[in-house]
Amino acid sequence: MTRPLLKISDVSVEFGPKANAIRVVDSVSFSIGAGEAVGLVGESGSGKSITSLSILRLIPDPPGRIVSGSIEFEGQDLLKLPANRMPEIRGRDIAMIFQEPMSSLNPVMTIGDQIAEALMLHQDLDRDARWQRVIEVLSLVGMPDPAARLGAFPHEFSGGMRQRVMIAMAVACNPKLLIADEPTTALDVTIQAQVLELMKSIRASVNTAILLISHDLGVIADLCERVVVMYSGRIVEEGSVESIFSKPEHPYTRGLLQSIPRLDDDRKRLYQIAGTVPMAGSVKKGCPFYARCDLRVDKCAAEMPPMFEFSKQHKAACWVTGEAEQ
Amino acid sequence: MTELLRADNLVKAFGSEGGFHIGARKQPVRAVNGVSFSVTTGETLAVVGESGCGKSTLGRLLLRLIEPTEGQVHIGGVDVTQMSAAELRAARRQMQMVFQDPYGSLSPRRTVAEIIAEPLEVFGIVKTRQERRERVAELLEQVGLPPTLMDRHPRQFSGGQRQRIGIARAIALNPDFIVADEPVSALDVSVQAQIVNLLQDLQEAKGFSYFFIAHDLAVVRHIADRVMVMYLGRIVEIGPKRSIYTAPQHPYTQALLSAAPEPDVKKRTKRIILSGDVPSPSNVPPGCSFHTRCPLAQEQCRQVRPELREVAPGQTAACHFAEPNPIKLPVSAPAYAS
Repeated sequence: MTRPLLKISDVSVEFGPKANAIRVVDSVSFSIGAGEAVGLVGESGSGKSITSLSILRLIPDPPGRIVSGSIEFEGQDLLKLPANRMPEIRGRDIAMIFQEPMSSLNPVMTIGDQIAEALMLHQDLDRDARWQRVIEVLSLVGMPDPAARLGAFPHEFSGGMRQRVMIAMAVACNPKLLIADEPTTALDVTIQAQVLELMKSIRASVNTAILLISHDLGVIADLCERVVVMYSGRIVEEGSVESIFSKPEHPYTRGLLQSIPRLDDDRKRLYQIAGTVPMAGSVKKGCPFYARCDLRVDKCAAEMPPMFEFSKQHKAACWVTGEAEQ
Repeated sequence: MTELLRADNLVKAFGSEGGFHIGARKQPVRAVNGVSFSVTTGETLAVVGESGCGKSTLGRLLLRLIEPTEGQVHIGGVDVTQMSAAELRAARRQMQMVFQDPYGSLSPRRTVAEIIAEPLEVFGIVKTRQERRERVAELLEQVGLPPTLMDRHPRQFSGGQRQRIGIARAIALNPDFIVADEPVSALDVSVQAQIVNLLQDLQEAKGFSYFFIAHDLAVVRHIADRVMVMYLGRIVEIGPKRSIYTAPQHPYTQALLSAAPEPDVKKRTKRIILSGDVPSPSNVPPGCSFHTRCPLAQEQCRQVRPELREVAPGQTAACHFAEPNPIKLPVSAPAYAS
């Protein structure tokens, strides 16, 4: 197997004073191949956004810090890199799209200048070539009449168009990895469909790998090949979208898929997972899903299950389904 | 089935009054523009549409939380829009609301018991402290919360639990009609199912009607009896759930249904992609307001606004090309110019 583009091994992130730190991401490991689209799914407090921020070392320190693990990007451990070298990686090799396009764009800078800024930092282009490239990426994201819109400010655009500007900015330097944190959550359904189509076409044309963070399993199924499921700071299941959506092995993933109403089902009542999502870091011992699980046995409360392999493409951290499989 | 609520030609225009203007005087925004429908007893009518379509404004008009510019709302045969302040206050007993944001809609300074008991006290239903605590305990049990928690404050509860508190407050007076404005969209996915089930169980037990505002079409299909689709302040289609989901007549309904991604890898390919954005409600296109995004728009659509007309039993749609010759949209039309 070739070396993955990004390899996250055993990363843990803590917040708060060292003496009673809260571990919000706990021993997370997964990798992304070149050109691959991986979905990271989880509910609030699952640690999915913190995991993605830790890749770019964007976790505010203090109060947060990465306490262990390595994040290898093309073989180089980003966590060992001096902090002043991170800006070379950010935006050039790894770019990020955020959920709220209005608050992540600069309101007093034209969109042309904002996109050109990334190019100015990372690419040695003269002024004309740079503006040419800005127009090029704007047309790539489907901005009508891009040359005329360079001088426009973010407030002059709709939410969907702003998200297109964000995407243009992110792909301007042809990043090898694009991290998209809930890129369509703030958008209407028909606009969401447009942005998802756009991300697919961008992926096809610039061959960038994508890490898509979302709570929406439908969005993940639409765009990704592989999915990583997080619950309360831990990875509980990982595999190809085909196998996870057709045969989930972790009780949490199963419950989640069953609890979502579908457009074509006629159930009278929805399956419901009892209880509420635990606060990050509140479960110190055993499986974080123990309190809400239908299948729990005593062992689950005592010890966190390892990732059991169900097939080459499918792993899940559950004592009950895992040991039945062995 | 008896008719519980009827809305006739409701209009809400914002910014139409006089006052101080800088620059050119703007056209008033007609957020709700000539909407008529009815809700029967015990029924759930869901309204779907994208932001700016007027669905939340409509929900507030029904309860007269805002004043309509034109039109009437009858609840139980009485015109709500003509009531005096005192009459309206009394009528509010029959109509309640569940809000979207379980964080913003509960006072952080009051205990759960105070929040839930407030409507009971306003209408003089509970008189003593003892009565109050008993009734609150009963209501908390009905929404699946332990009554022992009644002296806590909202911040001590999770989002799903707060939504249960909001629901307990809404059902405290045994209303006939509840407007639920996106009651599950702020909740975690694993908690949404709990609240949807709770809303259905309560309706079964108490027999009230819901006006259910949502953008999640799968949730709506699960909970609704009838579905109303809005676009730029108007109803574009309304009908029984089954017909709307299996035989949508309006191109916008078709696009909306196919745009929602489902957690199913096999359903990846078929999708209608609309081009462009929803036009601003302050600048509604002439003719059919959907024509700027409709892949099938003809000259007629740019000129003449289609009226709602019956296309199947109980189902009406506002499209020139609906039944008897419905047009199916081509799927996966390009999302943008290349």
